[in-house]
Amino acid sequence: MIMGSQKPIDEIWAMVKDFNRVLVFGCNTCVAVCHAGGEKEAETIASLVRMRAQQEGRTMEVKHLGVMRHCEPEYFEPVMDEVKKYDLILSTACGVGVNFLSDRTGTIPVFPGINTSFFGSVEAPGFFKELCAGCGNCIVHLTGGLCPIARCSKTLMNGPCGGTNKGKCEVSNEIDCIWYLIVERMKKLGTLEKLSEIQPPRNWATSRDGGPRRISLEHLREYEEKEEKAQATGGKKQ
Amino acid sequence: MTPQNKGTTTEPYRPYGADIKETRPYSPCRAACPAHTDVQAYVGLIAQGKYTEAFEVITAPNPIASVCSMICHHPCEQACRRCGIDEPLSVRHLKRFAIEKSQEYRRAKRRLVQKTRGKSVGIIGSGPSGLTAARDLADFGYSVTIYERHPVLGGMLASAIPPYRLPRNMLKEDIDDVISRGIEVKTGCEIGRDVKLEDLAKKHDAVLIAIGLSQSRSIPIPGVEGPGVLLAIPFLEDVAFDRKPSLGKKVLVIGGGNVAMDVARTARRLGVKDVSMVCLESAEEMPAWKWEVDEAVEEGIAINHRWGPKAVRREGEKVLGLEVKKVKSVFDASGRFNPAYDESNTTLLEADTIIITIGQMSNISFMKDSAVKVDERGRVQWNPETQMSSAPGIFLSGEVVTGPGSAIAAVANGHRAALAMHLHCQGETIEGRLPAAQEKEKIEQMPAEVVEKVARESRVKIKHLAPEVRCDTMVHFEIGYDETEALKEAGRCRGCGGGAVVNPNKCMACLTCQRICPYGAPVVTSVSEIRPEYCQACGLCAPECPGQAISMVSYDVREFRDRMPSLIGAVDPGRKEPHIAAFICTHHVGVFGFKVPSNVHAIPVHCTSRIDVLDILKAVECGADGVAIVRCGEGTCKYRGIMHRVSARAKRVQELMSALGMGPERIEVLSATGGDSASYEAVCAAFSARVKEMGLRKASIR
Ligand SMILES: Cc1cc2nc3c(=O)[nH]c(=O)nc-3n(C[C@H](O)[C@H](O)[C@H](O)COP(=O)(O)OP(=O)(O)OC[C@H]3O[C@@H](n4cnc5c(N)ncnc54)[C@H](O)[C@@H]3O)c2cc1C
Ligand code: SF4
Ligand code: SF4
Ligand code: SF4
Ligand code: SF4
Repeated sequence: MIMGSQKPIDEIWAMVKDFNRVLVFGCNTCVAVCHAGGEKEAETIASLVRMRAQQEGRTMEVKHLGVMRHCEPEYFEPVMDEVKKYDLILSTACGVGVNFLSDRTGTIPVFPGINTSFFGSVEAPGFFKELCAGCGNCIVHLTGGLCPIARCSKTLMNGPCGGTNKGKCEVSNEIDCIWYLIVERMKKLGTLEKLSEIQPPRNWATSRDGGPRRISLEHLREYEEKEEKAQATGGKKQ
Repeated sequence: MTPQNKGTTTEPYRPYGADIKETRPYSPCRAACPAHTDVQAYVGLIAQGKYTEAFEVITAPNPIASVCSMICHHPCEQACRRCGIDEPLSVRHLKRFAIEKSQEYRRAKRRLVQKTRGKSVGIIGSGPSGLTAARDLADFGYSVTIYERHPVLGGMLASAIPPYRLPRNMLKEDIDDVISRGIEVKTGCEIGRDVKLEDLAKKHDAVLIAIGLSQSRSIPIPGVEGPGVLLAIPFLEDVAFDRKPSLGKKVLVIGGGNVAMDVARTARRLGVKDVSMVCLESAEEMPAWKWEVDEAVEEGIAINHRWGPKAVRREGEKVLGLEVKKVKSVFDASGRFNPAYDESNTTLLEADTIIITIGQMSNISFMKDSAVKVDERGRVQWNPETQMSSAPGIFLSGEVVTGPGSAIAAVANGHRAALAMHLHCQGETIEGRLPAAQEKEKIEQMPAEVVEKVARESRVKIKHLAPEVRCDTMVHFEIGYDETEALKEAGRCRGCGGGAVVNPNKCMACLTCQRICPYGAPVVTSVSEIRPEYCQACGLCAPECPGQAISMVSYDVREFRDRMPSLIGAVDPGRKEPHIAAFICTHHVGVFGFKVPSNVHAIPVHCTSRIDVLDILKAVECGADGVAIVRCGEGTCKYRGIMHRVSARAKRVQELMSALGMGPERIEVLSATGGDSASYEAVCAAFSARVKEMGLRKASIR
């Protein structure tokens, strides 16, 4: 899931202080799971903004709202009239949601209430860990299913580096050395010898450098078009 | 297509739990009550110190609630899920407590009801069933007249149930509630003797016959006619209306039911030292409630089991005793009441007075030549589907048709009849519109794995007047709960069916509730489903749900936030003492008797598990200089796993306070050791002093 964390109230205040009617708008999917931007946290941030406004002697109307997902249009339909009553929307969805909503609010600005951080797992209640970088060219079949791009501090393809230290990364004792784990895992899988093959430099064309990325599932898209055509031609199936 | 509003709310929150309550299985106590009184709800309200709110819940389905708080046989208690843990809740006494606390409130709220329908109804009989129908029909807007042959209203409650069990002032409060709606009362008016049924039927748009079973049955045995042999109901009526019945020195009561117990115990209180009983049944088979039997035995009443009456032995007019024959069996092979005797095994039970208490019947002579048909066995014909007799517009309810039962069952039947009469008067069909008499769906017994996790806590005992004292008086013999006792007892309730519910349109299956619930109630698949038989209504999960998908059936999870300005009051800009908001666990301490310094604004909460981060923030937002969360004390919490969560929530608020540049020390979790009100006061005062040291906040809103 997409993980994020709330922006400090000072930073939020700097964004919102000049507006009179602010809607803190939560997304009840990924960012709710990581307790950063669901409806509950939207209400928390709204409360903090009201208190800050009070400290600053500003009169401001701050409300909150939530919908199931900020990244699909249908979810907005029932609330868009309400949303458009505000001068500013502070979205607590991930960056996707902020962008998606910005395209739909006309002259009303949409600002981010959280920092979208990574794709991660819920390792344990309240503990989220980055496991994938979304690089666009997955190679984990070569590395025992563990991703060195996301999980190695140096993004090494031929690790470990000399800083590996009893299973930990030289950057911090808190960080597992992924290359250590890759070696251990491949031992267990009996595929350790594959690691002696040197990996060529990575092709980063699929990553951010190629411009904004998109995925089109042709089978799904075509399916809808076909259905429509079928209806237009009197319901005959093709 | 819009995915059916999934997760969308224009209003951030609606109390979803309360909205769907009626569609959910009932708590076993509520299901067992014939009138389906929401026991779980009112016991919960009592536990929170909300006594008049509890009174409203109690009286909504029950116009004779004060009476029931004294004499109900409380099937709710027999069904209580706490039976599987230790002992059932003392529901009837909690009801009495809430009602006693609401005395002034109930009197002040009596009002005339507008007669908007332009139609009138007549009700014959003022027992539980007649009174219930009268109240409902008055509330529907009909002009209601009650006809009662006795000089007072109340049916058996007024004329038969002895005052040592039912003080008449309690009955009067109930009757005044009903009558104050503007109901016309004609007492001393017997239908058949003073007014004809046909005339009544002409006068009113609908008539209800709710005459109960007001005649005692006798036994056709030799010697039964003559002085010294009395029937139960006339005897009890004499006592009720202060017409001292004359008894000898040795009284024998025939019968083994509850009425027989009342008769025997009343005779004891009339100064007769030697009272005994004789019944067909063994101790186990006796129909009387066990507690009635125990109390009678405490009062020195002997019970002769398994003897059947054969003849009353007399010397001239004077009664010598009852000749009895041994009972071989009471029930036949198919379980029907069909006693068999050993005629050769007889004995004489000596007595100078015999009181026959073997059952009752209705006096239906006034229906003889009317349109209301009576069958060859003397039973009134009626349609249980419509509560109507064979005569259109003439309805029946209560024991005259249901047979002997309890007061609350007569109430339930009275509601049905009132609805039927209302539909009839509106020209609507009745069939299929009356609530089914069948049992309500209820939540399952508590699973063993949950029972294990619930702390044992025995029932708060009710005190009785000592047997030697109570036998000399008609004074009520039970001493009700005081506030401390009532709160302690109410706190034992597990809130069955009043717990967490998930709004499936808002749940995103994050697993949080499943992970934190100490009782394993939530199961998350595509959405979370909270199993009511597991849930203890602790409320721990709702504040943790990131989608605010969890509501509680028995309380509004947003209440504190929404009502915070009034809960903590306006903050005085010129104050000298800090304005403190204190969420206080009510589990071990009375709310009303509870003292805190005047600058501390107590917000009673059933358990601190229910306090949301947002509630604490709201208190700060409303200007509180400090917020305390006062727990009930180490090891005393009625739920599990609360402490850690509550501390974590407080810590989160402290961090947010720091981020806002306000001292995190303004938020504290306090623990009142021992859980008495003095220690609550002390911890609040100490916290207030610490906040004062930090200084008062400048800004305040609303
Ligand atoms: C001694 C005794 C003890 C009991 N103890 C309990 C107990 O502890 N708990 C419990 O739940 N239940 C108890 N009951 C049962 C309870 O009293 C009845 O279930 C209940 O009263 C039945 O209500 P009802 O409205 O059907 O009739 P009733 O209460 O019998 O009322 C009928 C009324 O109709 C009046 N009436 C009859 N004929 C006429 C007429 N022709 N014209 C005008 N008025 C008429 C009668 O005077 C009476 O007032 C007890 C009953 C008795 C007799
Ligand atoms: S906007 Fe979409 S991607 Fe972002 S948190 Fe919400 S559901 Fe996840
Ligand atoms: S514990 Fe409370 S809610 Fe549950 S059955 Fe007993 S009285 Fe009813
Ligand atoms: S905590 Fe809320 S959103 Fe998460 S599974 Fe439970 S009900 Fe659903
Ligand atoms: S946490 Fe408490 S209220 Fe929530 S499901 Fe579990 S027992 Fe019920």
